Amino acid sequence: MQRRDFLGLSIATGLSVAGLGGCSKSGPLAFGIHPWIGYEPLYLARDFDWLPASVALRSGTSARDSMDGLLSGELGGAALTLDETIRIWSQGTELVVVAVADVSAGADVLVARPHIAELADLRGQRVAVELDGVSGILLLKILEVAGLSRDDIVAVDLPVNQHPEAWSRREVDASVCYEPTVSALESDGGLRLFDSSSIPETIFDLLVVTRDTVDSNPGAVRDLVAGHFAGLRHMVRSMHDSIYRIASRQGIQPGKVKNALGTVMLPDLAANQRYLAASGRVESVARSLSRLMFDEGIITNEPGFRGLCNTAFLPRRVS
Amino acid sequence: MIARCHRFLLAVFFVVGCLTSTFVSARETLAFGVFAYRPDNIIRERYEPLVRYLSDEIGVDVELEVLNQQDMSLAVAANRLDFFLTNPSHFLLIRSERSLTGVLATLVRQSGETSTASLGGVIFTAAGREDIDGLEDLRDKSIASPGVHFLGGFQTQVLELLDAGVDIRRKNRVRFVDTHDRVVRSVLSGKSDVGFIRTAILEEMAQADADLFSQVKVLNRQALAGFPYVVSTRLYPEWPLVALPHVNERDVRRVASALFAIEPEDEAAMAAGITGFSPPADYQSVEYLARTLRVPPYDQMPRVNWVDVLNQYRVWVLIILVLVALLFASSLWLGRSKRQLAAQQSRLKQLIRDWPQPALLIQDDIFVNTNRAAVDLLRYASNASLYGKSLVAFSPELQPDGQLSRHKMEQILVRVRSGLVERCEWMLHRSDGTEVWADMTLAPVDGEGENGPVILCSLYDITRRKQAEQRQRLAASVFDHAREAIFITDSHGIVIDANDAYLEITGRPQTRAIGRLPPLPMDEGSGIFSSARTHGFWSGEFSCNHHNGESLVLAVTISSVRGDHGEVSHFVGIFSDITRLKEQETRLRVMAHYDSLTGLPNRVLFSDRLQQAMALSRRQGSKLAVVYIDLDEFKPVNDAFGHDAGDQLLIEIASRMRAVLREEDTLARLGGDEFAAIVINVQDEASLQGLLLRLLGRVADPVRVARHTVEVSASIGYTLYPQAKQLDGDQLLRQADQAMYEAKHRGRNRYVRFSAPSG
Repeated sequence: MQRRDFLGLSIATGLSVAGLGGCSKSGPLAFGIHPWIGYEPLYLARDFDWLPASVALRSGTSARDSMDGLLSGELGGAALTLDETIRIWSQGTELVVVAVADVSAGADVLVARPHIAELADLRGQRVAVELDGVSGILLLKILEVAGLSRDDIVAVDLPVNQHPEAWSRREVDASVCYEPTVSALESDGGLRLFDSSSIPETIFDLLVVTRDTVDSNPGAVRDLVAGHFAGLRHMVRSMHDSIYRIASRQGIQPGKVKNALGTVMLPDLAANQRYLAASGRVESVARSLSRLMFDEGIITNEPGFRGLCNTAFLPRRVS
Repeated sequence: MIARCHRFLLAVFFVVGCLTSTFVSARETLAFGVFAYRPDNIIRERYEPLVRYLSDEIGVDVELEVLNQQDMSLAVAANRLDFFLTNPSHFLLIRSERSLTGVLATLVRQSGETSTASLGGVIFTAAGREDIDGLEDLRDKSIASPGVHFLGGFQTQVLELLDAGVDIRRKNRVRFVDTHDRVVRSVLSGKSDVGFIRTAILEEMAQADADLFSQVKVLNRQALAGFPYVVSTRLYPEWPLVALPHVNERDVRRVASALFAIEPEDEAAMAAGITGFSPPADYQSVEYLARTLRVPPYDQMPRVNWVDVLNQYRVWVLIILVLVALLFASSLWLGRSKRQLAAQQSRLKQLIRDWPQPALLIQDDIFVNTNRAAVDLLRYASNASLYGKSLVAFSPELQPDGQLSRHKMEQILVRVRSGLVERCEWMLHRSDGTEVWADMTLAPVDGEGENGPVILCSLYDITRRKQAEQRQRLAASVFDHAREAIFITDSHGIVIDANDAYLEITGRPQTRAIGRLPPLPMDEGSGIFSSARTHGFWSGEFSCNHHNGESLVLAVTISSVRGDHGEVSHFVGIFSDITRLKEQETRLRVMAHYDSLTGLPNRVLFSDRLQQAMALSRRQGSKLAVVYIDLDEFKPVNDAFGHDAGDQLLIEIASRMRAVLREEDTLARLGGDEFAAIVINVQDEASLQGLLLRLLGRVADPVRVARHTVEVSASIGYTLYPQAKQLDGDQLLRQADQAMYEAKHRGRNRYVRFSAPSG
């Protein structure tokens, strides 16, 4: 065991040296990210200069920006949910999960107008949802739980950041969204009807990179993952500080940040090792999710998921 | 039923608890310490309502004590306090000094409409200071701070600056002024360039001095939405309220519940400027800060023993041990190799030093090292005498081949430096002026790291050889150029070498001379070698034949040459041609005993033969006759026809007489026209007289000389031997002479016997 660690360390050192070499050739790793409580550690790392020059965060407004970037090849990696990862893969770009940023435990929410008291009342209602995002999956799950089919509701495909506007214009009756949109809708009279805490360990927010990046720029990937865990450590250890910083960037009250943190699980290194293990939770959920998505016609072919998760880039410890 | 039972028990406990509490509180009051981070009066003014509130709520007198950090630490140590409220850093320090029940609650500060349970640090300077804009500008600036154990007043700033690369604890002058208010005053008065205070201080002070914010400039300002104060650093949890362990649990519980019950609108909260208290915060970020900055209580490094190190770095320790072991092994090995090398080197040095053949090392044309033999060869006292000098300095100006020593040596060294090994003979001068021949070998020595190429010069004394060579050359030249023939044979007498004179004298070509016997005497032959072997030499003269058949007389000396074991290995012979000498000798002998004109024995030989004949006669008892013959009338012939004719006549007469005499008889010419004869074995006088008559007859026969026929006669006197008295040869001849005169006297052409005169 000790020996393997040592060997691993030497190999890692060698790889990182090689990776740095590759870095200078291929430039920094362009990593797509958008506002989400689970991705905040990366933002914190950027703000505290814990991300080396080998990683360049490309901040978008929603997951769609990141997905477009990955498909066009502009981005070498992105912070995505598991279903988004499956979508990209099914379109031919192989991805590797290098870290689990968070597991939704109530972060993804169905907010409805007060007259919708239970899930069954959704029938015939206009539901705002970013269909090709994680919300689409939650909606599928909700319909599953509610015993409704997709035709029983009117799905309004809308990027999450446009939900509050549509809500205030009363163009939708319900919204599948997440913070900070949830808080915005709640303050505008919305009520929580369902959230991801009812379907635990299903909605993963991941840090993924393309297979090409893993091969050509492993050092940058390692830097990225190390940066995420450094930010996470600050978040856990200096909660008092992090809350204000996250609140500042997301433009919400610090108290709301606290609430949002309550809706996600932020797995540490050990948990990441467990999730990303071969035949671990991420891979098994990916398989069942891709079957669901295939059945629903969201994707046209099921990816093979060979080498989906890779624990090689996780730091041995957070110093 | 159970619920009712519980309720009853609770009621009992409550009553008992109240009684106990009353009993205890009747005896003592609770001391509530508050850290005076601002002037005492302000703190007291703010916290009096809170203390009163607590007294009312728990029914025990609570006394407010406003203390600075040092006093508070002392009070805690003396158990004079029951509860205290202080900054997190100070709390950590106290906690490390004694175990506490822990944090009861964390203070939540109120500012206007917002509240916060976080605090941070403020870094500020006077508004006019344009030279200070960012954290980097703090280098070399004087700083005012309330104290080291102030979280927001020192430690947060230090960490923030450390992250920015400014280590103020090492580089800056920091003035500790005890309270935040004094820090502000110090900066505003210009005493200090920069001030460190905690959040909320400026805002609180601004309530009294509305102008304050226009007088200060906050550095590294953080934009944190929802945080009510200006702040320069990251945030940490607010002050903890701590209960000491000696306080009974009931009081703790009641104080805690009273604290959590405080609402923002309460007087106690309003006066203190707080919203209330929240459940205890996680202070690990403060701990981390203290550890990072190594401030108390984390200023001491934990003692790490070697077992911890071993556990933590087992692989590294193992690797290092292995490396050290390898290092040790390799040093041992190196040490051993070095010793072996040194021993080898010393052996080599000794070998070179004691090597009997002279050897020297040359660098930059001068000797840098020599051995004993070299010093001895040149007859110097020590090595030092040779160092620093060139080989030329020990050489004569000219080498025997006529080249200049300096010139020749330069050429040799050039070739040696190009990698060749040079060998030559060299003449050297010794210190005593004698010369020594050396066979010199110069070879380049591969000396890495040396200044210049090193050349090994090895000398071999060949003076003896040279002298021997000279002797040999001399001997060879003698051999080659001698007039005498010299030859060398093997032990059997077969010639193995011979000089030119040998070939010349014997006339034999080289091929017929070598491998054959030398000329030997006919009689003894190879016997002379036995003689030479026995006696060491043999010498003699003998005749032999020249190759062309001519006769030669040789005078030969043969010496035996002995080998190492005394046996004869060679013979050396020397001979000369003495043929001419022998001929000369014969000629001289003839000239001494014979008449040159007639070839007849002369008077000397006649006398000699007469002696012999007389001796023979005496021995044999025979008779001999001495006859004296003189020609008559010879002078007229000589005068008439010349001397040549006279000589011719004499030759003819002599020849006729010789023919008449027997072989054993002797006829001699005594001079002029006088002859004498010895006739031996005379039987009787008659036969003698017959002989004499025949002589007279032959002489009287005509002789043709000079185209003339002449006639001469002879007068003969004779005498016989032996006679009565002893006579010698001369007497006998005189008797015959007298008789011849008698015959002349009697008329010539007759013979007369000597007759002793009577009387």
